[in-house]
Amino acid sequence: MGALDYIWMGILAVLQGPEFFSILGVGVSVTIVMVALGFLLGVAVGATPGLGGPIAMAISLPILVSIFGFTPDALLPVMGFLIGIMKGATIGGAVPAILFNTPGTPDAYLTTLDGYPMTENGEARKALRVAHFSSVTGDTFSDVVLIVCAPFLALLVESYLDLPEKAALLILSLSFIAAAVGGSPAKGLISTGLGLLAAYIGTGEDFYPRLTGGSEALQSGLPLVSVILGALIIGSVIYEMTTYWRERGRAERAQRQQKRQGQGLSFALIRKLLPYIGRSAVAGTIIGALPGIGSTLAATIGYALGRARYAKTKHPDDPEFGQGAPEGVASTEAANSSVSGANLIPVLSLGIPGNAAAVFLILAAESIGGFTPGPSVFKFTTDQVNPELVIAFGLFTCMFLANFLNWTVGGVIMRSMGVMTRIPKQILLPCVLMLTLTAIYVQETAMAAVWITLAFGVMGYLMRVFGISPLPFMVAFILGGRLEETLRQAFSATGSDPWFLLNNPIAAAFMGLAALTVIIALRQDRRSSFSERKA
Amino acid sequence: MSLSRDQKIGAFFLLFAVLLVFVWVPLDVDSGYTVQVRRQVSVGDAFAPTIAGVFVLIGGLFLLVFGGTRDEPQEPIDFLALRFAGLLFAVYVLSFMMMLFVGPIAVLVSNLLTGMEQEYRLLRDAAPWKYLGFAVGCTFAITSTISLLEGRFSLRAVLIGLCAVLAMIAIYDLPFDDLLLPPNGDV
Repeated sequence: MGALDYIWMGILAVLQGPEFFSILGVGVSVTIVMVALGFLLGVAVGATPGLGGPIAMAISLPILVSIFGFTPDALLPVMGFLIGIMKGATIGGAVPAILFNTPGTPDAYLTTLDGYPMTENGEARKALRVAHFSSVTGDTFSDVVLIVCAPFLALLVESYLDLPEKAALLILSLSFIAAAVGGSPAKGLISTGLGLLAAYIGTGEDFYPRLTGGSEALQSGLPLVSVILGALIIGSVIYEMTTYWRERGRAERAQRQQKRQGQGLSFALIRKLLPYIGRSAVAGTIIGALPGIGSTLAATIGYALGRARYAKTKHPDDPEFGQGAPEGVASTEAANSSVSGANLIPVLSLGIPGNAAAVFLILAAESIGGFTPGPSVFKFTTDQVNPELVIAFGLFTCMFLANFLNWTVGGVIMRSMGVMTRIPKQILLPCVLMLTLTAIYVQETAMAAVWITLAFGVMGYLMRVFGISPLPFMVAFILGGRLEETLRQAFSATGSDPWFLLNNPIAAAFMGLAALTVIIALRQDRRSSFSERKA
Repeated sequence: MSLSRDQKIGAFFLLFAVLLVFVWVPLDVDSGYTVQVRRQVSVGDAFAPTIAGVFVLIGGLFLLVFGGTRDEPQEPIDFLALRFAGLLFAVYVLSFMMMLFVGPIAVLVSNLLTGMEQEYRLLRDAAPWKYLGFAVGCTFAITSTISLLEGRFSLRAVLIGLCAVLAMIAIYDLPFDDLLLPPNGDV
């Protein structure tokens, strides 16, 4: 079995999986159908302000698991559906940003800067076409990088890193996420610490379940689904509701007249946009490959790069950047979309989730079983088939399938989703809240899980209010158990050496980098807050 | 000396981390930082939670010392937010209580009327009993939350609640034999 055989098996696992229906005698596999359905749902939820990819993933996961069961055959249809949502939501987020100055997803905020002025100028369809083309180009580039890099990174990790180095790498990842996510490294550290603490409640090796205070409900640890959905979805819904309650009745939306001509995407315009898309795609992919760095930073950098180029090449008649330049929409959309593929590099190669979508892919893999994202996936065994590697290449195939849909019908679907932005928030949010709680109940079948979810929802809400990002919390919660296990094994393997993280040069370098990352981030934060104060 | 909001958050988490490391972990974890099993020293259960505490402690300390310099616009935690959060919490506690009790009460009333001796626990997977608690609690939760957000009660909110209930039953119950709607896994 060579690498090419594995790639081919992955492709066949998607294309020749269980048949859903057939057209003219040609069978269409259930995975293809699930990717397409997920993509459609993703565009719809991305285009709906107040919803988003993670909410759709949370609600659909228990249904998918019930439909497909807990067998390895379920992995590709379920994860294909989630990948479809991830891809669809990325392009869908631009719709309300361009049409109504309301970003459907947080990273679409910068799209409003040029997208909405284009709508005001009567060029809404053109803006949507530019956003779609840039988004799908950036996304495809990022997926190619993922497929090339993830296996190599995983092979490097498996070949050169032993237990102490792996423990140090996990600490480095957590420190990096704490330092880089959410603007304030001090709050990132608090969020990470709380995530680790939640992971250690009710677990451990002793007979007594630690940190439970004797509570029976906590004896088997906190349910993964409750904690993640509580902090991520319920917290966000409560936050949105409070904001709506505060601003009730303020916003009114105006209908805009549309120009009839010049709304297409000409080759001349594409040629003009490509340098912007290229720069943003490269920047977004590099940023996306670092765990925890969100697409908002990628969009900001992409936008800044685009503005710098635009200042040099701008024609006197062209609109200013930020006042309806298609290049602005292209720079932002290409950057934030190229994060989504690259964000899966740390998940598939190291098992470290980099964003909310990756968290749900891990959740799906853990719920179903038979696939543990991490370096062990990419073992190119020659004597017998490594089923996890076939699944990995199947997932890559699903990503390209979603990209194919995005290139061919994505634009039409995206432009038809303007209607989703009209669903009132005060109706949508209560339904989403109840739907999420019901999804958790049907998965866990215990009211205790609902109470835990609501408790973490309140925590997620308070974190947002106090400017603490919940992403480091979630990543730490997912990695907490693995970190402790690796530390235990490394300590035992080194003959109970208390300095095992510093004796080994690679582990010591990782630990040094972890400390350096936090120190630099704290110093920069302090400096920038001082300069803000002076200004 | 008045503390900024970030400094107060820092002080809170600093205190939390100190209590975690010096009170909660020693009192609520059986083994220490290391344990000796068959003459081999290994990592104990208290070690990892302490690391978590150290993360919180460093973050809290830094916020307390340097958190006073930044004036970022933040969502206020005021009476309005607390009132909304309190009402929302009350609505959801009440709705889940309804879910738990409406089904058994309906069976009790039915027993009184028909003279039968049925038990809700045995009917929890049979229509219409299995839908009663969920339908009442869920409609109440959605209707009340929409009314809270809109600042008025409306028939439209009730209809949306009912439609949402029907949709959720169609999504989570009708196609599956193995899924139980709330509260049927707990009764």
